[in-house]
Amino acid sequence: MEKLPINEEFLQQLELLQLLIKNSVAGAFGGNHKTRTYGSSCEYADFRDYVPGDDLKKVDWNAYARFEKLYLKLFLDERQMHTRIYIDASRSMTYGNGNKDTQAVKIAAAIAYLSVCDMDKVSIYVIHENAVEEVITSMLGKDSFVANIGKLNGIVFNGDSCISDAVLPLNVGYGDGLSVIISDFLTDNNYEDAVNYLADRKRDVLCVQVLSREELKPKSRGKVHFFDSENTSRYYRKNINRDIINAYKAALEYATGRIRDLCHSREAEYMLVAADENIADLFFERMTEMGVLK
Amino acid sequence: MRFLYPLGLLGLIAVPILIIIYIIKNKYVEQVVSSTYLWTLSEKFLKRRNPIRMITGIISLILQILAVIFISFAISHPVFTLPHAAEDFCFIIDGSGSMNITLQDGATRFDEAKERVRKLISDSATGSAYTLIVAGDSTDTLYQSIEDKERALSLLDEAEPSFGASGFVNAVSRAQEMFGFNPALSVYVVTDKSYEQTENVNVVNVSDGAKNYAVSDVEYSFAGGKLIVGGNVISYNGDAELDLNLYIDGAEECESTQKVEVKNLELTPFSFESDSVDFASLKVAVAQTDSLMNDNESVLYNVRYDRSFTTLVVSETPFFLQAVFKALGNARVDVAKPDKYENLTGKDGYGLYVFDGFSPAELPRNGAVWFVNPKSSVENSGFSMQSEISLSEPGKLAFSTSSSTRVKNLLAGLSKSDIYLSEYVKCGQYRNFINLISVEGSPVVFAGTNSFGNREVVFAFDFHNSDVPLSPDFPALINNLIGYTFPAVVDNSSYFCGDSADINVLANCESVRVDTPQGKVVYLDTSNPVVSYTLDEAGVYTVTEIIGNTTRTVNLFATVPVSERYVTVSEPSLVISGQASSERRDGRYEDLLAFFIILAVLFIADWMVYCYEQYQLR
Repeated sequence: MEKLPINEEFLQQLELLQLLIKNSVAGAFGGNHKTRTYGSSCEYADFRDYVPGDDLKKVDWNAYARFEKLYLKLFLDERQMHTRIYIDASRSMTYGNGNKDTQAVKIAAAIAYLSVCDMDKVSIYVIHENAVEEVITSMLGKDSFVANIGKLNGIVFNGDSCISDAVLPLNVGYGDGLSVIISDFLTDNNYEDAVNYLADRKRDVLCVQVLSREELKPKSRGKVHFFDSENTSRYYRKNINRDIINAYKAALEYATGRIRDLCHSREAEYMLVAADENIADLFFERMTEMGVLK
Repeated sequence: MRFLYPLGLLGLIAVPILIIIYIIKNKYVEQVVSSTYLWTLSEKFLKRRNPIRMITGIISLILQILAVIFISFAISHPVFTLPHAAEDFCFIIDGSGSMNITLQDGATRFDEAKERVRKLISDSATGSAYTLIVAGDSTDTLYQSIEDKERALSLLDEAEPSFGASGFVNAVSRAQEMFGFNPALSVYVVTDKSYEQTENVNVVNVSDGAKNYAVSDVEYSFAGGKLIVGGNVISYNGDAELDLNLYIDGAEECESTQKVEVKNLELTPFSFESDSVDFASLKVAVAQTDSLMNDNESVLYNVRYDRSFTTLVVSETPFFLQAVFKALGNARVDVAKPDKYENLTGKDGYGLYVFDGFSPAELPRNGAVWFVNPKSSVENSGFSMQSEISLSEPGKLAFSTSSSTRVKNLLAGLSKSDIYLSEYVKCGQYRNFINLISVEGSPVVFAGTNSFGNREVVFAFDFHNSDVPLSPDFPALINNLIGYTFPAVVDNSSYFCGDSADINVLANCESVRVDTPQGKVVYLDTSNPVVSYTLDEAGVYTVTEIIGNTTRTVNLFATVPVSERYVTVSEPSLVISGQASSERRDGRYEDLLAFFIILAVLFIADWMVYCYEQYQLR
């Protein structure tokens, strides 16, 4: 399976885009993302009275000429963002013909590339069972991206996953960037706490729900006995008819609505992606329309 | 319940086979999916199912099993016993002439009666027994105590009314006899007459008070060289002004017409005058139409019309006979000398042979024979000559005083004046001869039938030795004897339905054929000189007698009896005595229609279920 079908042309196009961060970034290093503190960027912010000890290079001499009083010209500070990407690596992401895992990896790689283009740090994690495993840590710069992105090919999608149990123990930083959770969210397990935790940590959150076409619009009819790929003791045995399909659609609406509503309540971004959806369309159209990119 | 064809139940073997096929066919397809989360979650959103939808998956199987069961049952033809559901019916339909009256819808009362009976039979439970009696001018039991409903209905269709009076007496008598054996018998009388409802008789009235006119008592006579036709006309439901037409010899245009004011139920006379004295038939008809057209006309036929015969007179002195035959007309008379007779060619073709003063060696076989002054006995002639008697004084002829109708007819119209003769031949005669005239106790004029069945008249004297030819009674006597020798086919042409017509059969008559108004052809017995035929139908009958190369044809007309012309009649009650029993016979239900309906419903339901499943799975 081609895990990284991201070609050079796509990456060049991605370079034109930039991740929008709602929360002010509080990174330790300078970068391309504005903060609420004054710094040394080129973007004018405010004036204040001169106090002894201030750097004379920051005095606005034009204002002095007019008011005969010393003012300091203040500029916005720009900081580096740390983008943390969490990929649900449960078996449900890979079983069947959905290629949800491929789509998840593509999305993760693309977001990571956008981040490194903005001189941001990128960390990519996978969630297995109740734990988070680092795949790429603090990747910075395109060279590092090229050197490390291949690690995504080594992700094994297997077992179950509990997003909240995995994320809550982590040090996810505070207000220093974007957290992306890529999962199918088809679980009874708790993922709300993870989103709340990330939001509470003043991080921008983007939840990407990846579902296969069969899950979005099931084609199965008649008498079927479905076994769950993550746990074969879970099964569903029915004569699939129109009523059940309608109920399934309602259940799908409920499941997507659950994560969507959660995201909206926490001012997080939510995006439902089909596993076979074109990645270019996803980034250049949908994410731009949503305001995730600019 | 029992089965007519129990082997049909073998079809139930298909039920377990069907179930096995269903089990084998309907296996669940196993499939591993990434997550059953959404499918399991969908259960919460599945609309609340009613209990019957729990069996939706096998409803098709249930329908198919039911279909197989019902097909097996239908093939085995179950017969259900319905205790005390059937009845014994005895239907008496009035088949009298009045039942031919047409109702407002165009059907006759008899048709309506059959319809009523048909409904009763159709509505009755299978297993009921039916008896049908048609009481017309004869009482016919079309069937008795049959249980086959279809056959009962079929035979009912064949029932036809007569044109005579109803024979309810016989019909009720038969019903009474059946009621004696089976007090549970339900007797229905379907009639147009107003019988009262009695305890054991259910009266169904089919009359509707329609209009009816009738012509009756039509006669003709001759006066002043004209034909006088008279009769009566009557209306049976209200006063009326009627147009009466006289038709002669079957002409399409009427000879004469007249308007007659007729009071309700009153005979109103009418009279026509016509110059058509020499007619073959006449008809008086009411121009207006009514509900019973059969009695709207009356037809009379001149039964003596066109009566001709050929005669061979063998005599040395044929003057008297030749003269009288020619005077009576309608006769072709040939004369032969006695010495030429034996060698005469073509002597076999005559209707009457008259031997005057001559006795042939052999009696003619093909015609009537008259002997005048026989000279010797002739074999098979029916009489023997004993001696010739010469009277010392002319003897007076004595006419027979017998009360016999034949004698009266043969001597009708005679003044019986004094007639004398001087010589006669004493003859001995056989039993089938009747004496008409005698002298000194010896018969001298007698008539009868010879051994060949031909009519024979003997004048045992020489006309020249008597004053008989000079008597005014001579032409009348000869006329009567000719009438006896050549009887008309019928003496009367006008009858009522149910009457018997006496048809005179000539000797050597090969066949007598009767063509009825409804096209039926009947051949009568020719062994007796007179045969009776009952006129059951209304209209014109044609009677044809074939005698060698000769054909005699006459028409008769029969009309509805006066008693049957009334549109409404009140009659005394019909009574069937005895204590009725409420015990009823067991009925049967063997109609497969319900099975076929159920099967059709099952197949339609199965088809709908299939379509619904396909709709659900799309």
